[in-house]
Amino acid sequence: MGNREDIALLGHLMRRAGFGATYAELAERAAAGYEAAVEDLLNPERFEPVDADVLYRFLPGYEGALGPPLNQAEWIYRMINTRRPLEEKMALFWHQLFATGNSKVDNPPELTQQIDMFRQYGLGSFRELLVQLAQNPAMIFWLDNNGNHLGAINENWGRELLELFSMGVGNYSEDDIKEASRAFTGWTVGPKIPRNPLGRFYWNFEYRPEDHDDGPKTFLGHTGNFNGQDIIDIVVNQPATARFLARHLYNFFVADEPQVPSWNITPPNDPDAIDRLVAAYDESNGDVRAMLRTLFNSDFFKQARFSRVKSPAELVIGTARMAGHFAGPRPGFNSLAFECAYQGQELLNPPSVESWHTGAEWIDGGALVRRVNFAAGILGDTALPGVSAIVISIRARGALSPDEFVDACLELVGPLEIGANTRAELLDQARSDGELRWDDAAADSEKRVGLMLALIAASRDFQFA
Amino acid sequence: MLTTVADGRVFDYSYCLGMYGMSGQGFWAPQDFALADDDTMFVISRGAEELGQRISKVTLDHQFLGQFGAFGRGDGQFIWPRSIALDDAGAIYASDDFLNRISIFDQDGAFQHAWGEAGDAKGQLNAPSGMTFDGSGNLLVVDAMNHRVQRFTKKGKYLGGFGRQGAADGEFNLPWGVCTDDAGNVYVADWKNNRVQKFDADGNYLMKFEASPSGVGDLHGPSSVAVDSEGDVYVTDWGSHRLQVYAPDGRFIATLVGDAQQPSPWTQTYIDANPEIIKARRRVNLEPEWRFRRPVAVKVDRNDRIMVLEAARHRIQIYDKVKDYEEHPLNL
Repeated sequence: MGNREDIALLGHLMRRAGFGATYAELAERAAAGYEAAVEDLLNPERFEPVDADVLYRFLPGYEGALGPPLNQAEWIYRMINTRRPLEEKMALFWHQLFATGNSKVDNPPELTQQIDMFRQYGLGSFRELLVQLAQNPAMIFWLDNNGNHLGAINENWGRELLELFSMGVGNYSEDDIKEASRAFTGWTVGPKIPRNPLGRFYWNFEYRPEDHDDGPKTFLGHTGNFNGQDIIDIVVNQPATARFLARHLYNFFVADEPQVPSWNITPPNDPDAIDRLVAAYDESNGDVRAMLRTLFNSDFFKQARFSRVKSPAELVIGTARMAGHFAGPRPGFNSLAFECAYQGQELLNPPSVESWHTGAEWIDGGALVRRVNFAAGILGDTALPGVSAIVISIRARGALSPDEFVDACLELVGPLEIGANTRAELLDQARSDGELRWDDAAADSEKRVGLMLALIAASRDFQFA
Repeated sequence: MLTTVADGRVFDYSYCLGMYGMSGQGFWAPQDFALADDDTMFVISRGAEELGQRISKVTLDHQFLGQFGAFGRGDGQFIWPRSIALDDAGAIYASDDFLNRISIFDQDGAFQHAWGEAGDAKGQLNAPSGMTFDGSGNLLVVDAMNHRVQRFTKKGKYLGGFGRQGAADGEFNLPWGVCTDDAGNVYVADWKNNRVQKFDADGNYLMKFEASPSGVGDLHGPSSVAVDSEGDVYVTDWGSHRLQVYAPDGRFIATLVGDAQQPSPWTQTYIDANPEIIKARRRVNLEPEWRFRRPVAVKVDRNDRIMVLEAARHRIQIYDKVKDYEEHPLNL
C-alpha cells in the first residue's frame, strides 16, 4: 500500500482518467506506483473488456437498443463496469468533442457504434481517428455529408471538421471549407433496412466515386486532386490542430478552460502546459496516447486536484461506481441515464454539434439540486455494497474522535480535499454526537457514517474532480 | 437456402411468425416459448427496463389471442422474464432470473401461485434460466448463476440437482437452456463453456456436443437445445446467430442460418401500412433480415417441426424436417 499522498494522487488520476476508484483499488494501484498506473490506463488491452455476452444475455434490450435511453444505459453499464477506465473516459471525451446527437440521427445503435469506434481508435493516431469519424455513418448523417454531392456541395461536415473537430475558428478561410467539402463528396452511407418491425439494422459507409469531385482543389495552401483523406492529412499537420487538441485535452483532463467558442480570442489558462502537449503531439506524429502520457505524468496535472467541475456523467457514474450497486447486470441503468440528462448531460444527445458547455456551466440552480440529491442519496445509503464497505473500513479503525471521523470519511470517498467552511460544517455535525463508537452504539454509528457521507456528497467540494 | 440437405436429413424452411411490438401483437426481446397440444403458443418477452415484459398467447397461424403479465414485483409480474414451460395439465410456468422465482398461470393467464427463494443453498435459485418438465412431471430448472440444474415438484419442493461451476465434464459455466428426450435424458446448453452436455435422468454425465477437433460444428454461447423424434439435437448458437444440428452420437450435421425471406403476416401488414418503409425496402439487400439474430430458444414439435425464436428479430422461424424428400434432377 502506498502512503496517503500516493493514494491521494492516484485518486486524482483515477477521477480524471476514469470514473474514480474505491480506496482499496487506489491502495493497490499506489503500491505499484503512479507511472505504472498511468501505463495501465494508457494500455487498456492489458485488461479484459466488458463481457458483452453477459451484458446482452441479461439485458438483451440494450443490444441494438430500439430507442433512448436504452442506448445511454448500455454505455453507462460499460462505464461503470469496465476494467479499462481510460478507454471509456476517452470515448466520453471524443463524444463531447465530436458531439453527435440522437435528436437528428434518430438511430441509437448507430450512435453506439460511434462510441465503439471511439473505444477502438480513441487512444491512437488522431489522423486515423478523423478518417474513421469522416466515415462514421452517424456523423455523416448528423452533418449532412450524405447530401454533399459533386457539383452541389453541402459544407456542414467540411466546416465542422475545421471549426469544431480539429483547428478552431480563425485558422482557415471560407474557401478552405468549400474545398474541403468538395474533397468529401461521395462519402456517404448506403441505404439500410428500415428499423421496424424486425429490430435495428446498421448503416454502412459507402464511397461513391461517381459522386466524388475529383478535380483540383486548393486547401490551406496546398493544391492537388484531393480526396477526404488528403484533407485530413493536411489538417493534422497544422500547428493549429495540435494546439486545438491539446487545449481540449487540458480542458477535459486538467482544469476548466473558458468555453470553446471563445478560444480564438481567449488564451489558455496555462500556455506552458499547452505547449508541452503540442510538443508531444508533434514528436509522436499526432499520437493521442503520447499526449496523454505527457499530460498524466506532468506536474501541471498532478497539481490540478479538484480544479474541474465534474460533468454530470462523471458525477453520476463516479458515485454509482463508489456505491457498488451497479456492478454487473441488473435493472435500472436507464435511471442513471435519466439522471445524467436531468443534470444537463443527456448522453448520445448533446444539444448541438457545439456540444455541452462545461465547467461552471454544468451548474445552475436546478442542476445543483439534482446533483446534490443524487450523490447524497446514494452515499448516505449504508445498505449499498460500496457504502457498506466504507462503514466496515471505518469500523475497523475503532472509536474515532470527531476530527478522526471526518478525516476517515473524506479519505474513503476520494480522498477528498475540502475547504475550511465545509470542514467546519462537517465537524459541527460530527461533534454533535461525540465520539464515534462501535460497541453498543454500532447501529447508531452506522447511521452517523451514512449521514456524514451524505453531507460530504452534498458539499460544494464534492462537485469538483 | 430454403432447403438444407445434409447427411440424409432435409430441413425445409416453412414460414415465420411474429414481429417487434412493445405490447399487443408482437414480441419484444422474446426469450422462450412453449407449445400447447392445440398449436397455441405462449411466448415470453423480456422487454427492456420497465417496458415490454409479458407472455403473449398466439397461434401457429398468426392469431394474437392476448397477453398477460407486466413489469413489477407483484403476483403475476416480472422484472426479467426468462423462460416458460407447460405442465401436463397445461399450466404455464414462467421463470424470472432477477426475482429468482417461478410464477404459475393458467392458460387464460390467470396467476395461480409462485415459488422460489434466492440463494445458493440446495433448492434456492440464482438466475433461473431454462426450464422443462421431465417424464415424471417434475420441473428441471437451470440455476444459471449457481451453475447447476435443479429438479422441483410443481409446487416447488426441491427434489435434487446436479452440476457445479467449472469446465470439466458434468460442470457448467452459466448454463442457459435445457430439454429432455423421449428416454428421459437431459440436455443442458452450457453457455459459457460453448457446449451442450447430455445427462441421464439422474444427472449422470453421458456425453457432450461441441466442436470436432477440426473445429467443425463449434458453438459460441449455446442458449437452447431440443431433440427430435429421431434423436437429432438442435442447438441455438446465440453467439454466432445460427442453429447447429448434431446426430445423436454427437457428430455435427448441419448449420441453419435463417431463411425468413417472406415476412410474417404481422410484419407484412406493418410494411404495407408504411409507404416510406416499402420504398426503403426496395432499395436494399434484405438478406440480413432473413438471417437469425440472437436465436435464444429452439423447440421441436410432435411433427418434428423445428421452431427457432430470435430475441433480436422478435420472431420465430419454422422448419420442417422432411422425411420423404426425393432429390430433384441435378441437371435441370
